[in-house]
Amino acid sequence: MNNNQFPTSRGALRKLLLVLAVVAGVLLYAYGWRVTDISLDETQDQTRQTSVTRALRELLSPNVFDQDRDSEFADAYFAIGCPDDGEPIPQPERAEGEPYIEISPDCGERDDAVTVTGHHFHANADAFVRWIPPNGQSRPMVRTDVDANGYFQTTISVPSLRGGGDEFHTIEVEGSWPVGLPHLSKTTETVIEKMVETIFLALMATTLAVPIAFVLSFFAARNLMRQVRMPAGDVLIAFILLPIGWALGDLLVGPIGELGVDWGKDLVLGIVGPAIAMVAYGGIARAAATAGLQEGTVGHRARKIGLNVLLVAVIIFTLGAVGGIGIWIGDKLEDTLLSDLGNFVNTLGTLVDLSISVAAALAGALLVSSVGTSLVRGGLRYFEGPADHIVGAVLGVASGTLLMAMMAVIANQAAWFGLLPLLVVVILAMQDLGLIYNRLTGAGHRDEANTHATLRLALQVAVAVVAFYFAYRFLDSGRLIVDGRLPSALKTEIGPFSVKTYTFRAMLMGAVLGGIGGWLLGIHRNFPLGMTVYNTTRTILNALRSIEPLIMGIVFVIWVGIGPFAGVLALMLHSIAALGKLYSEQVENIDPGPSEAVQATGATRLQMIAYGVVPQIVPPYIAFTMYRWDINVRMSTIIGFVGGGGIGFLLQQQINLLRYREAGVAVLAIAIVVSVLDFASASIRERMI
Amino acid sequence: MLKIEHLTKVYENGVVALRDISFEVPDGQFVVVIGLSGSGKSTLLRCINRLIDPTEGRIIWNGIDITAANDEELRLIRRRIGMIFQQFNLVKRSKVITNVLAGRLGYTNPMWSLINRFSPHDRQMALAKLERVGIREKAFTRADELSGGQQQRVGIARALMQDPELMLADEPVASLDPATSHSVMKYLELLNKEDGITILCSLHFLSLARAYADRIIALKDGLLEFDGDPADIDEQRFKDIYGEDAVRVEIA
Repeated sequence: MNNNQFPTSRGALRKLLLVLAVVAGVLLYAYGWRVTDISLDETQDQTRQTSVTRALRELLSPNVFDQDRDSEFADAYFAIGCPDDGEPIPQPERAEGEPYIEISPDCGERDDAVTVTGHHFHANADAFVRWIPPNGQSRPMVRTDVDANGYFQTTISVPSLRGGGDEFHTIEVEGSWPVGLPHLSKTTETVIEKMVETIFLALMATTLAVPIAFVLSFFAARNLMRQVRMPAGDVLIAFILLPIGWALGDLLVGPIGELGVDWGKDLVLGIVGPAIAMVAYGGIARAAATAGLQEGTVGHRARKIGLNVLLVAVIIFTLGAVGGIGIWIGDKLEDTLLSDLGNFVNTLGTLVDLSISVAAALAGALLVSSVGTSLVRGGLRYFEGPADHIVGAVLGVASGTLLMAMMAVIANQAAWFGLLPLLVVVILAMQDLGLIYNRLTGAGHRDEANTHATLRLALQVAVAVVAFYFAYRFLDSGRLIVDGRLPSALKTEIGPFSVKTYTFRAMLMGAVLGGIGGWLLGIHRNFPLGMTVYNTTRTILNALRSIEPLIMGIVFVIWVGIGPFAGVLALMLHSIAALGKLYSEQVENIDPGPSEAVQATGATRLQMIAYGVVPQIVPPYIAFTMYRWDINVRMSTIIGFVGGGGIGFLLQQQINLLRYREAGVAVLAIAIVVSVLDFASASIRERMI
Repeated sequence: MLKIEHLTKVYENGVVALRDISFEVPDGQFVVVIGLSGSGKSTLLRCINRLIDPTEGRIIWNGIDITAANDEELRLIRRRIGMIFQQFNLVKRSKVITNVLAGRLGYTNPMWSLINRFSPHDRQMALAKLERVGIREKAFTRADELSGGQQQRVGIARALMQDPELMLADEPVASLDPATSHSVMKYLELLNKEDGITILCSLHFLSLARAYADRIIALKDGLLEFDGDPADIDEQRFKDIYGEDAVRVEIA
């Protein structure tokens, strides 16, 4: 019995909930109706209907084609105010075989009807009747059709014109007819030109985005990054060494790159120099290889480090030389038929020239940090027991200080970047809390987060709130976030150095939190470096992806001016974010078997990616790249609305000038290109997958 | 000499895959690990080359503590330990020769290998290894065009590129038919007898294990249930390992 009643009461409740849900839904839509200003009156309005009909009619009559026309003219004279003597107005001479017109009457007042009759015009021509007052300012009156016999008749009314006096007015008729074949109109030519620009805009943006997104996608792939764990000590040392390496690379390797560029600009040196460098490197490497050092010994390690340093120098030098040669070739080609190519090569060369010092610094940073880590690693092993934690704390202080200094530098750029230091403080505090919690509850290396999930969560939220509040007050962040001003310029003296108080305080917090974390973690415990990189990359990609390319376009137009280049940059940035995410999902979907097998052979992580991952992701990557190009073509048709070049710019101009027939051509072109590309990319994708 | 000491693996979700396993394998032995699915065979093999990090215990190989090795040391250890897999784990879209050459990655300069450049010596070696497993003529076909047995032989050739001293075989014949199974096991036996490679192979079927093993190790729920001579597994032992309801299935 109970069983029977239970469902009915439950059923009633469910029915009630359903009714409530429907009511809520209706209310929601009613609100939406109001917010979006849906108005049926507007659609019924007579004048609006007329204008929309006109605009649509013109949009649907695009002036794609044009045809040359011949024309002939015939005049008649008209007097405003008939002469007192009633004499007819003297008319121009009629030549044999030429068209002529008759008007009746030949004089009158304004608004009088005048019949215009034409004879001997070109058969089936268009006749344009114009009124030319004595001051010569012609005004169109009416357009009519000439019949097959060259005859027409039409009526005009005398316009109200000021002045004129005793002089006659002229009624002119132009007979006009098409000759030759129809050809593309001027508008169409411009539209095609702009369309080509648009397609290339999309192509450039996609091409430039692909390599960057390709690299990023591995950092945003959970399955790859989860494996990347390093002892905390190694991570901290690598992090501390990064800026040192950056400075060293900039200082020492940078000039080598610059030298390469200089040599490259003198073609012969540019080829000979890197060739010698490479041969020399090969020789040294071979000589070193025959030295017969045992793998794992100090000598072997030193040789490896030395060779790597040399290799970086050679690569940067060669890269610089290639850039230099590019500039040289570009200069030579500039004045020839291949000037486009020359300009392209020149720009690439200049790009290398501009980025060589950054590349050198980056290479230096990575090299120093990896070499430093591998050198120190041996030493770190000997710190056991309390020393483990003391060294950890020291490294933690240094890393925390460095990290927060970097955040403070970013926060000094724009007020709302001031959220970044706060966020990092909160994350650090929560990590420290996690470590303390594990220590207190005795949770070891095993993840026992499930045991007291609620307590843990409550503690985390509490610590996050407290940390945020404290950091907000300590860094005086109201100034940034509420007032929208940059951090105060006040300085704090630390010994001989003078640092902005804001930066100093940020560093202080970093030192404390980093120190606590380092102390608790020690240097031997594994640090999930990969997941840190993964989360950072994902966050940046997601943030970038949420900004529409049109908005990015506005910023880039301010930076590089109105034109397609701004559009390329905007679409590129958005494509990097979008492709980065799509690509990384493909990496996450691979069959883990092959990469596991490659890893088991003793391959490095990079080799594992090249041999176990990349072959599996090539087809989906190509498919997604096509898809993105497709999207970019669509986007580039409207990126011009914010000044980003391409056909959108033209379209917007014509719409603003109310030239809907011309706008119609642009719309037609967009429709054709988009649908062709849609079809092409779909069929290519189908073939790839 | 491979020494496993008190090896325990607890996965993050709390599953205990191995409980305090200890045994020693002298060089040149053909050891077969048997047990039901989920008894910890795969975990055991993967702990040895640290595709899975053990929770506790040590693995000592030729005097080196594998469990304490850092990334670089681990790489040097791994390249002397070959491994073949139930699903063959070939890169299906790549050519056979590329798959075999991948076995040599631990020995090649990382920079060159990234642009798919291997020394002529390595290429010759790859062809020789394919010759050895009898599919030299398939070197330049795509891996996914091969039959299962052929794919597993590519897997063996890949492992041989490492000049391994120890070969881990994770249910190498579980995806193959009985006849092909024997042919693959024969190759493993050949490597064991001719090259003196120590083999640690997990299998489902006791009959196969008996035919090839010098020694059988049986796991049950992560515990070492049996360690000894194949001939010592009688009806009672069999039921201990596979459960009371198990019936022997012979594989011809």
